Amino acid sequence: MRTIEVSLILNGLKKDLTIDPNKTLLEVIREDFGLTGAKDGCGGEGECGACTVLLDGYLVNSCMIFIGQVDGLNITTIEGLAPEGEYHPIQEAFVSAGAVQCGYCTPGAVLAVKALLDKNSHPSDQVIKEGLSGNLCRCTGYTKMVDAVQIAAEVLSDD
Amino acid sequence: MIETRSVVGNPEIRKDAWCKAAGKALYTADIHVEDMKHGFILRAAYHHARILDIDISPAFNVPGVLAILTADDIPGAKVFGSLIPDQPSLADGVVRHLGEPVVLVIAETKDIARKAGELININYEPLEAVFDPVDALQPDAPKLHDSGNNVSELNVSEGDVIKGFKEADFILEETFRLPRISPGYMEPETSLAIWHEEGNTVTVWVSSQHPFTDQEFIAAALDLPVSSVQVKSSVIGGAFGGKEDSSISILAALGAQAVKAPVRLVNTRKESFLAHPKRHPAEIRMKLGTKKDGSFTALQAQAYMDTGAYASYGPAVAMILTETLAGSYRIPNVKIDTFLSYTNSPLSGAMRGFGSPQSHFAIESMVDMMAEKIGLDPIKLRKKNSLRPGDKVFTGVEMSNSATALMICLDKSQDIKDRYLAVEATPGKKTGVGMALAAQSMGLGANVPDDSTHRLLWNTDGSVEIYLGSPDLGQGLVTAAEQITAEALELPFDRVTTRELDTLLSPNGNVTCASRMTYMVGNALIDASEKLITGLLSAASVMLDFPVESLSYKKGCVLKPDGTEVTVNEITTRLAADSAVLQSESTFSFPYPEETTPQHLPIGMPHTLYCFGAQIARVEVDPELGTVDVTHFAAIHDVGRIINQAGVEGQIEGGVATGLGYALYENMLQKENQWIDSFTEYLLPTAMDLPEHFESVILEIPEASGPYGVKGIGEIPLVATAPAVANAVFDAVGVRVTELPITPERVLEIEE
Repeated sequence: MRTIEVSLILNGLKKDLTIDPNKTLLEVIREDFGLTGAKDGCGGEGECGACTVLLDGYLVNSCMIFIGQVDGLNITTIEGLAPEGEYHPIQEAFVSAGAVQCGYCTPGAVLAVKALLDKNSHPSDQVIKEGLSGNLCRCTGYTKMVDAVQIAAEVLSDD
Repeated sequence: MIETRSVVGNPEIRKDAWCKAAGKALYTADIHVEDMKHGFILRAAYHHARILDIDISPAFNVPGVLAILTADDIPGAKVFGSLIPDQPSLADGVVRHLGEPVVLVIAETKDIARKAGELININYEPLEAVFDPVDALQPDAPKLHDSGNNVSELNVSEGDVIKGFKEADFILEETFRLPRISPGYMEPETSLAIWHEEGNTVTVWVSSQHPFTDQEFIAAALDLPVSSVQVKSSVIGGAFGGKEDSSISILAALGAQAVKAPVRLVNTRKESFLAHPKRHPAEIRMKLGTKKDGSFTALQAQAYMDTGAYASYGPAVAMILTETLAGSYRIPNVKIDTFLSYTNSPLSGAMRGFGSPQSHFAIESMVDMMAEKIGLDPIKLRKKNSLRPGDKVFTGVEMSNSATALMICLDKSQDIKDRYLAVEATPGKKTGVGMALAAQSMGLGANVPDDSTHRLLWNTDGSVEIYLGSPDLGQGLVTAAEQITAEALELPFDRVTTRELDTLLSPNGNVTCASRMTYMVGNALIDASEKLITGLLSAASVMLDFPVESLSYKKGCVLKPDGTEVTVNEITTRLAADSAVLQSESTFSFPYPEETTPQHLPIGMPHTLYCFGAQIARVEVDPELGTVDVTHFAAIHDVGRIINQAGVEGQIEGGVATGLGYALYENMLQKENQWIDSFTEYLLPTAMDLPEHFESVILEIPEASGPYGVKGIGEIPLVATAPAVANAVFDAVGVRVTELPITPERVLEIEE
């Protein structure tokens, strides 16, 4: 099997890999690094957003990215959003607003909100809905997610 | 002393939300075990075909392939099915729908399994296929099963419809068509089966609504005693009825048995679309008669439902569809005939609403059409005919006090409608407001055994653990169970925790479905709490040497006659020293008392407890493009008693979103001889598609038999949505859409 060398920074730690170039970033995160917060919801089609991670701060579907494409880049998964044992204000807001039901889409949605609030600290509801539009959720109807983003925006701008 | 308060109704935060938001919750596909093997399911490439020959030899030569199973290799039962055992785990001689499992390949990696699987040659003889439930009942239709294509037929009548239509001044007839809908949970089906060589037993992790049913089916397929199969429920990524299907768990277990190692199976989204149960497509022909004053005289309907190649829960779905076809209305003469057909379509089975969304689109559209015909306001017409407590419906069920919700719903609907009518239209758009009522039953239906058992354990630290016998699908059942238990035991919410379901350790709480879980679990846990307190006091009586009747319980403490307290911790700790534990178990059986439940219908009918609601939609229609934008939406629902406000709102908000998908977007069509099988073409509502203005109005009319008055809210929020939108579209542009979804082509009345 052909392999390639890839170096990346995962949640702040440098990782060097010798790896099958056919693997997607999602597969590497889940299978090689054992971080299972990013989920597969659509079979690697980039349709559901459950596999969302941040690549140098940009929102991506990790199922759509081959591992060779992230060489030298900085990857943040849900596990790296807050220090171990702590929660990011966005995670706290999702919990307190009741925006988490089955939770399968939650890690991806939280990261989508992180990317959104990094760009726009006081988004309107409409902008929030656009920011979440790549993350499918069948449980919540999104209402409480939008509430959560407003709570998080408030908390983060107070800091 | 522990400070406590009344917990039911408090805005408690569900405990599982923390690990879910942190990405640490382990769903079945996240569980890692050493030496895990991977499965691939080779699926049917035809809608209907005879299997002439399967050549597995090319796959066997692939390094890393461990086992290849066909139907012949299944040691035990080759078919399963809760109502009719007609569904093969692996196709046996014939395939009846596209994507049906035919061969199971187990290999060292999922890539090897897939690549090897794709080398297998299956020689098929294609057979004629049928996809329409009406066509399937024709004498010359291709026959799917030896028993014929008529899975079940229900004929229910009350009064005399011929007389009823004679009395009518107006008669309307219409045919409504409903599409095939995917449950659309975000976690595709998956299972992890771990074989234990010692003792020939298997542990199977499932994402399932009914682990105890999975256990039975797995044991039967593997030819093992039920006691050799342990089924464990991990965190579940949504279910909505669709995970009342055991196929993937059976296959994972068969794979593990074959290779004597752990085997993981994960469906892709495409596989989930093709091979897991959907909401039944249906054709409903309806005729409604009304007097000049608006009172309904007769309703006649024929419903044709497509259950696909195997029955799944179709016969039960047909019952609720039938029972709810008369909606929330007093109609003296009713005749309904429902036909459930086998076809070569994907399976249809349980899905949130269970027949009620289909029936309501028909009846609630029909009522608005009648209002238009006789020139009466649609809400006034509903008020004239809506059920009151004490009314008997056509199934013989007497309406309880719950029916008082209907008039309240209609009054509130009028207020909201008036408010929506005052909203200014966006330039260039036509606006309309529509509403619909909803009725949804709770429970599995009369004379279906429905016992739900749950257990409580008092730990030595004074905390209480619930052994919940039914899985939380993500909707928050665990939180409701913990709040009710905390209330019953006068403990703070954080002193009650819940064990994940394990068939070896947990009592059987029965399948999580049918809008009845908080009701069942709550009733059982209140009783178990009372038993736990009784046990505590009798243990304390022995330990403290006081007569039991002189002791009482308060907030985690035993009160002695002198008013001093002994904490539960002390008592449970002293019991533990003698290897004794303080625990209790209780079974709640859904009540279908023979004397008050009509007994003339097939087993499973009627459903006796009903919940009611109403929904109001304001739409803006683009008259050029035919697009429909739902700008405002209100959902009014009676829940009996709120246990957790956010939980109830979450059920309503999520339910309405699914209802809007049914109304406007979703349809698993056939296209170029294939089924739509991805979210690219099957459109789930996104955050952008929801109403800009949304409101939930929650009523609390207590149900006498419910824990603290609770009724169900799991399914009803999506029942009225589609007809409310269709009625609003008619109000906006005068076009009556009788087929879902309400596409621009249908709004513009363009032939497709």
